[in-house]
Amino acid sequence: MRFMMLMIPKGYETAEPGTMPDAEGVAAMMKYNESLQKAGVLLALDGLHPPSMGARVTFPGGKPKVTDGPFAEAKEVLGGYWMIQVKSREEAIEWASRCPASENEIIEVRQVQEMSDFPPDVQEAAAGFAELQAQSGQSKGA
Amino acid sequence: MKFMIIMKANKDTEAGVMPSERALTEMGNFNEELVKAGIMLAGEGLHPSSKGARVKFSGGKQTVTDGPFAEAKELVAGFWMWEVKSKEEAIEWVKRIPNPDNTDFEVEIRQVFAAEDFGAEFTPEAREQEERLREQLAAKQ
Repeated sequence: MRFMMLMIPKGYETAEPGTMPDAEGVAAMMKYNESLQKAGVLLALDGLHPPSMGARVTFPGGKPKVTDGPFAEAKEVLGGYWMIQVKSREEAIEWASRCPASENEIIEVRQVQEMSDFPPDVQEAAAGFAELQAQSGQSKGA
Repeated sequence: MKFMIIMKANKDTEAGVMPSERALTEMGNFNEELVKAGIMLAGEGLHPSSKGARVKFSGGKQTVTDGPFAEAKELVAGFWMWEVKSKEEAIEWVKRIPNPDNTDFEVEIRQVFAAEDFGAEFTPEAREQEERLREQLAAKQ
């Protein structure tokens, strides 16, 4: 089973453009990343620039409307993620709990949809997707 | 530049409602276009938050809370990773996301950190460690 661990850092919703993680935090996180890698569970990971450098697009009445960040109404935002391959939801939660996260940070653990999770008619309609994923830069885990 | 295109949740995605066949077909065609344009790195959907959990770190302790989580519009339903030349290019592609059923949805565009974004705090040792990790991940795929 693949799970996504979504890092939600407190206060990142108001971080200035160009905000960087501090070196000490990064060093601790690199150790954690290596432990995930050594256990053979890590599939992918990325950190995200603050939302003040991003944008949101909504589609009122079917027309795209772009709003630049920061997003005033956002109470929490994503700071980064890990994609892991584990045997159970419990194992995913176990890994999330080991993260050297800072005070008031939250890691949300969410299962990734696999083609086999869908009913047969949906699988058929989405038949080309697995092939597309194989052609794209990042394939599914084992 | 690498961007994460976050498809925000709504009450349908949180309820586990399947998209229509037409929506799936049009999304399939859109994904194909992304691959042909050479910008698609990954794309995944997530199960509703009711199947998930949150771990909160506070006072040196971890507290686990089972889903679902309030405020569907702040939650993630799925994402793409795209390699594009600019934020504007990412926005142009986002504007073209098919929506044949005219559902209410929001997409967030966020730039991914790359090694070159960091200054001297990212020491040569740390850079090497990061590169090694990325190489191992790439080799696994």
